[in-house]
Amino acid sequence: MSAVEVVGLGVRAGAATLIEDVSLVVERGTWCTVIGPNGAGKTTLVETIAGLRRAHAGTVTIEGEDVARLGERRRATRVALVPQHPVVPPGMSVADYVALGRTAYHGLLRAPSGADRRVVEGVLERLDLARLAGRDVATLSGGERQRAVLARALAQSTRVIVLDEPTTGLDLRHQVALLELLRTEVAECGLCVVATLHDLTLAGQFADRLVLVDAGRVVLEGPSREVVRSAELARSYQMDLRVVDVDGADVVVPAHRGLTAR
Amino acid sequence: MNDRLPSRRRVAAVAAGCVVALLAAVLCGLAIGPTPIPAGRIAGALLAGIGLGHSTLSPLASTIVWQIRAPRMVLGLLVGAMLAVAGGTYQGVFRNPLADPYLLGVAAGAGLGATIAIADVGGGLTTPSWTPALAFVGALVAVVLTWAVGGRGLHSGTSTLILAGVAVASLLTSAQTYLQQRASTDSLARVYIWLLGSLASASWHSVVLVVPYVVVCAAVCVAAGRALDVMSVGESESRSLGLPVARVRLIVIAASSLGTAAVVSVAGLIGFVGIIVPHLVRLLAGTSYRRILPLSVVAGAAFLVLCDTVARTVMAPSELPLGVVTAVVGAPVFVLVLSLRRRVVA
Repeated sequence: MSAVEVVGLGVRAGAATLIEDVSLVVERGTWCTVIGPNGAGKTTLVETIAGLRRAHAGTVTIEGEDVARLGERRRATRVALVPQHPVVPPGMSVADYVALGRTAYHGLLRAPSGADRRVVEGVLERLDLARLAGRDVATLSGGERQRAVLARALAQSTRVIVLDEPTTGLDLRHQVALLELLRTEVAECGLCVVATLHDLTLAGQFADRLVLVDAGRVVLEGPSREVVRSAELARSYQMDLRVVDVDGADVVVPAHRGLTAR
Repeated sequence: MNDRLPSRRRVAAVAAGCVVALLAAVLCGLAIGPTPIPAGRIAGALLAGIGLGHSTLSPLASTIVWQIRAPRMVLGLLVGAMLAVAGGTYQGVFRNPLADPYLLGVAAGAGLGATIAIADVGGGLTTPSWTPALAFVGALVAVVLTWAVGGRGLHSGTSTLILAGVAVASLLTSAQTYLQQRASTDSLARVYIWLLGSLASASWHSVVLVVPYVVVCAAVCVAAGRALDVMSVGESESRSLGLPVARVRLIVIAASSLGTAAVVSVAGLIGFVGIIVPHLVRLLAGTSYRRILPLSVVAGAAFLVLCDTVARTVMAPSELPLGVVTAVVGAPVFVLVLSLRRRVVA
């Protein structure tokens, strides 16, 4: 059984078709990143995989269960989401914020159990947030805040985690640090990651497979190295892209006019 | 960086302060009035009521305390607790600090209902004694109407519902204004008195009428504290965390509206309690609704009884409108706490 299976997925908003006939499979313990130009349907795709949007056609199954048929509470124990622009409530401690990830386990009328608290403590420890546990989450720096959001998603103890542009607003060092944290979780805990990323270099370096979407459809899907070096990538972004090998890693650079003139 | 999170000790101190204020309010509500009765004797009578010692109140004092002052004090506790907890709940569910219990048209609907009863627009069909019943029905009709117009808001944010509340409230208020214009001077004065809120007509009968609504609705609101904490990260994130957002909204809005309608029907439109008390508690004890809501119940009850004691004594034998007192007493306290807190944070 694959961790995520998307079959013939179509999502509409009013009369507009946002994605159409999208199919993809993500295996356990692997990382799949969705890339594509603005408006391609990346966010719609990952939000539908996370069960937050209704599809008009096709299905999304997580570990064999149809996401559309899962109740909210059950779904939250199967797939976790790191949104592009998380709402950070002022006045909430980092520990309480991360503990929100356990809501589906203890319910709305009961306090977190000892097991819930141990999961939260473990995640805080792993993500180097334990020293910040008592801090107001709204006072964290951008990098710390994004780690707290990731910690909340990891506290959901799901096999699948969906991230929509998790590196938005972070400097390069913090982008890499966050993605490395995630890669450790994939390698050590067998997590399945479905993410969207704008940075094609980072997307290629951290994902096992890339899915290139454009105008709501999958253009190309395959191992990261192949997709990054494909002609379809440049065509979708409507620009000349160069791939440079730096110590065995692919670096994608735009070959715009200023670059070629020099 | 300075943290704004209140310590456990501070939260405990705030909770203790609320309880002390409540006890003080109960004693004031029973002891203060045209016939002075020492607070010590009241305390003795209260303890005797739970089987400790014996009461030293004279039969006359006993009648004054238990038949005149006690029902009014108890009704004040119920009204204050309900308005405060409903306000706090609305602020959480709408994620809007300006939300108060009258947001969805409860006040306008109750006002129209009460005006119909008092101003006798039915040409003898209604009597002033129908005021609580018609106010209650008016309040519920208003909320249901708001719901019918803006109900889609339950699935896609809350702004539609809030706007529907504004529209329904304007419509019902204009209807009420029209009726007021046609009313006699005498009944107009009584409509105004009702609109400004009062506990003067309190009796054990009205307490019994209101108790079940307040107990059930306030309990539902307090129990929703954890859900409202989850909701503070917004709709789509709380859904991804496993919260059935639409269902939770429906339940807590229904509970706070029903409870508010019940207390408004017996006490009129007492403003300010629903907005100031939860904010005071939030300023002192932090932003978690698991603390704000239960503490608002206690603080709201104490606040309203103390305000009512002021309302019925400063100009005795006539009374000040309770809504005026809640604003006059509440606003300076609120400003004071706000400025103190800003200094502490800085």
